[in-house]
Amino acid sequence: MIPNLVTALLIAIFYILQTAVFSQTALISGTADLILLFFAAWSLQEQVKNTWIWTVIAGLLISLVSAMPFFAPLLAYLGVVAISKLIQRRVWKIPILAMFIVTLLGTFLQHIIYFIVLQLEGAPISLLESLDMITLPSLLLNLIFALPIFAVVNEVVGRLYPLEVEV
Amino acid sequence: MKFINSKNIQTIVIIIVVSGLLFLALSGYLTPIFNLSLSPLISLQSWLSVRYISAREFITTPRDVTQLREQNTLLESQVTQLQTQLIEMEERLGEAQVCFALLDFGRTNPQYDYTAATVVGREISPFLQYIIIDKGTEHGVRYGMPVVTQQGLVGRVDAVIARAARVKLITDSTSIVNVRLQSAEVEAQLQGSLTGDISLDMIPLDLNVEPGDVVLTSGLGGNFPPNIFIGQVLSTQRRENALFQTASVQPIVDFSSINAVLVVNNFESVDISPLIPEP
Repeated sequence: MIPNLVTALLIAIFYILQTAVFSQTALISGTADLILLFFAAWSLQEQVKNTWIWTVIAGLLISLVSAMPFFAPLLAYLGVVAISKLIQRRVWKIPILAMFIVTLLGTFLQHIIYFIVLQLEGAPISLLESLDMITLPSLLLNLIFALPIFAVVNEVVGRLYPLEVEV
Repeated sequence: MKFINSKNIQTIVIIIVVSGLLFLALSGYLTPIFNLSLSPLISLQSWLSVRYISAREFITTPRDVTQLREQNTLLESQVTQLQTQLIEMEERLGEAQVCFALLDFGRTNPQYDYTAATVVGREISPFLQYIIIDKGTEHGVRYGMPVVTQQGLVGRVDAVIARAARVKLITDSTSIVNVRLQSAEVEAQLQGSLTGDISLDMIPLDLNVEPGDVVLTSGLGGNFPPNIFIGQVLSTQRRENALFQTASVQPIVDFSSINAVLVVNNFESVDISPLIPEP
């Protein structure tokens, strides 16, 4: 019960921080995505349960709030969690490295989904322009914030799910 | 003859000399002599006084430093308090200036009813240019209502719930606004972009558009009221074999720092899409 409440609270806090602060702090035209980073860090933690359910719930809510059509944020966050689960099994001994890899691949995946969805909507955007002006600056910001977000999530998970020690 | 003795003569001489000296002193004839005789005395007095003051300061300084430090701490705390008050006052002044500016816009455009709203957030995706405001259907905000600031056009309401609304900015890449150039009296289309820059399209090639020309809403299409200020032309571009020329526009509104907006309540946008023939 408490872990679920804390997860909901963390998603709410990161959403508020994202819309009120980080979306207004742009590098060229790119912005960091705290929710993506949260899901990347959260799903890399082995002890955490119900990651997929929380991703679907948060993704649906954010899709309703966002102007992005076709539930694109939900697809993007599910993709990030999928990448995270795949990476977790391969580089599980170095979680920070895994976090950076998930951030890198997750950002690209998210922006590819957004680009395709906007193209389908008929928005006049070019691939090169979106890569130069949005994706690469966003990736840099995400990589900068990946470490502190991972540290926060790691600390919270450590308190919520203390490791059992065999005596 | 007893009166004329040596003592009396001495007394009389002294009186006469003293009276003479007093007379000379009062009449100013003795000033140079006084100056000459007093200057060494004053120098000596000054020398002694300076030494005395120095010695007194040397003895009393430690007590004064303690007092000064106490006073300094007190003053520093007062300065900190005053600085805090100053920051609070500046914040209030900023809010008041925004309110006054919005009120001023309302006064200069009395034909419209406005709802003032505060910007509380922005769209998560960097591909889109949207803001979230703290007024919704409970405050009379409806889908499609134009949104302005005291400077000019901001966008239109794209989605609305009870206590919040999402506003699509004119800088969004999917945003198109019908505009007119005030000087050339020509109509064109204003388009947003991925980077938040806005540009004019569909300007006839034979028209001479100059940098600095004012761009206003035309009211065509029924999405926005006419004659709302948008910006000024920065530069024009003519491409070979193109049917129209384009122009970059400098928006009057600073979209990166919008804090408060006005929603135009009594303007109903017209959906003309059923009237447009499908290809």
